[in-house]
Amino acid sequence: MRALVTGAATPLGRAVIDALVRDPDVERVVASAGANDPPPPPPVIFEPAALGHARDVHDLVWRATSRHHVDTVIHLGAPCDPSTDRRASAADVLATRRLVHHCAEHPTIRRFVYRSFAEVYALEHAASDLLDEDAALDFDPAAPAWLRDRVEADLAVLGHAGDGLSIAVLRLAEVLAADSGSQLWDYLSSRVCVRPLGFDPMLNVLSLDDAAAALVLAARSSATGVLNIPGADTLPLSRAITEAGRVQLALPGPVLGPLYGARRWATGFRFRYDLNLRRFHFGGLLDGGRARQRLGYVPRQPVRWPRAWWRVLIDRLATRAA
Amino acid sequence: MRRSAHPAKTADAFARVVREAAFADAGYGYDQFGFHPPSLARAAELGAPIYERYFRVDSRGSDAIPASGPAIVVANHGGVLPVDAAMLCLDLVRNTEPPRVPRPVMDHFVPHLPFVSTWFARLGGVSGTRANVRALLARGELVVVWPEGVAGPAKRFRDRYRIQRWCVGFAELALRYHAPVIPCAVIGSEESWPLLGKLGKLHTFGIPYLPIAASPVPLPAHYHIRYAQPMWLDDHLAGADPDDPDVVANAATRVQVALEQLIDDTRCARRGVFR
Repeated sequence: MRALVTGAATPLGRAVIDALVRDPDVERVVASAGANDPPPPPPVIFEPAALGHARDVHDLVWRATSRHHVDTVIHLGAPCDPSTDRRASAADVLATRRLVHHCAEHPTIRRFVYRSFAEVYALEHAASDLLDEDAALDFDPAAPAWLRDRVEADLAVLGHAGDGLSIAVLRLAEVLAADSGSQLWDYLSSRVCVRPLGFDPMLNVLSLDDAAAALVLAARSSATGVLNIPGADTLPLSRAITEAGRVQLALPGPVLGPLYGARRWATGFRFRYDLNLRRFHFGGLLDGGRARQRLGYVPRQPVRWPRAWWRVLIDRLATRAA
Repeated sequence: MRRSAHPAKTADAFARVVREAAFADAGYGYDQFGFHPPSLARAAELGAPIYERYFRVDSRGSDAIPASGPAIVVANHGGVLPVDAAMLCLDLVRNTEPPRVPRPVMDHFVPHLPFVSTWFARLGGVSGTRANVRALLARGELVVVWPEGVAGPAKRFRDRYRIQRWCVGFAELALRYHAPVIPCAVIGSEESWPLLGKLGKLHTFGIPYLPIAASPVPLPAHYHIRYAQPMWLDDHLAGADPDDPDVVANAATRVQVALEQLIDDTRCARRGVFR
């Protein structure tokens, strides 16, 4: 396999590249990221490209991939921080559209793996606790733009299924890691975590290692269509706050939006309550049955919680004492 | 029908068996639906005096519940609030050996209710969607359903113990997973807390109506819980197709008839409402 990985400068991109380099069946790994991003060390080949520019996307597919005889593309997208402005998110959708279009036209690219998000599913009180691949998507026009962009990108990729390109769309549970656009990571990084009073939904989070393993498995397999990728950690929100060693405070739901809005405005905090409102009330976990069956994917690696420094210190001392 | 082979457990013993009951731990002591065995044990300890002394629940036939594998308990529903559901679930854990954790299926509006949604989830309740029930049956769990839904508690007192609207989804899943269906009559709930009226225009948190009860708390009616023998819905329907609406409707009707018979027999056999 000769693989091209976009979004190579993100934590997930680096984890995927590491996994590919370790894989003996992978002949060549081409990494694409912005021109200002640090290039990955050899043997990985670096191809800088700004995916927001149509010409760069075209050149990446028709020049770079042809030069390196790439047959598989793993598209992770740009660093998707939901708190960034609308334009960055919309540009990522456009880049995804262009990339999958060019890949479908390309003579040697046979496999396209797209990293999508669990957030594309509609969460409501009447929805199932377990979301399989047939669960309803969030087409709510009142949903935040970032969510609508994710749904659009997901469907844009699926729209090319049947064009001769073997496409797998992996809807990943939230990857809980620093600098990966994780809302929950930012939420759990604050000293006091405020949650809606009377609700304690179940959450499922994914580690970087498991996310990378799932993407590599998908790249190697011939499974097509949508595949849900859950993580190894399933727990209530209150327990997640405890695991992170934070103080939790339950307040009535309507207070939380303005509270986190003000906090975001005052401190630059990235967590947006409007993006997480439904998840903080109704939960919604990915059912990974299809990925287990078709990819052999089983989540194994627990996440590393964004713990307070004193908690990390106590854990280390306890480990050493033991 | 004979009395349950398993004597009612004391609160401590019950708490112990619930803690030890097998469940699909997702890693932090909770399952994917939020079920937390210690919470159920605590609730059972608190509920034991109500079960034993207030409602004096008389349970018979619980040995019909399979010791393992998927099964569906189908019960009638009545009373202002689901006290009958609580007594039935308590009865199932107390009187099954080895203890089985009942997974009651809740109406769609329940996850919208603050505190209640979380509390019910910790005690094993799941929202009434096909995917949820399918996952539980695939896992071999004991599912408890009230096919009347909200129509059961919403009926007038003069309609007590008359089966209302009868949903058939449970029959389809029973056919699909070859799960036995155990009809269960709960008698006493309708007289315990009669519904006086309802405010149908109040839908706070998605509730279908606001009930007006005849008494501020449930009256100490004598509860009688009776389990029928398990019914295998695909027994009389060789190659029964769970996707055939007629097959499913017929199977659901068989269960309804069996439950109505059980309700009538139990009502006739009791000596009085409060005795």
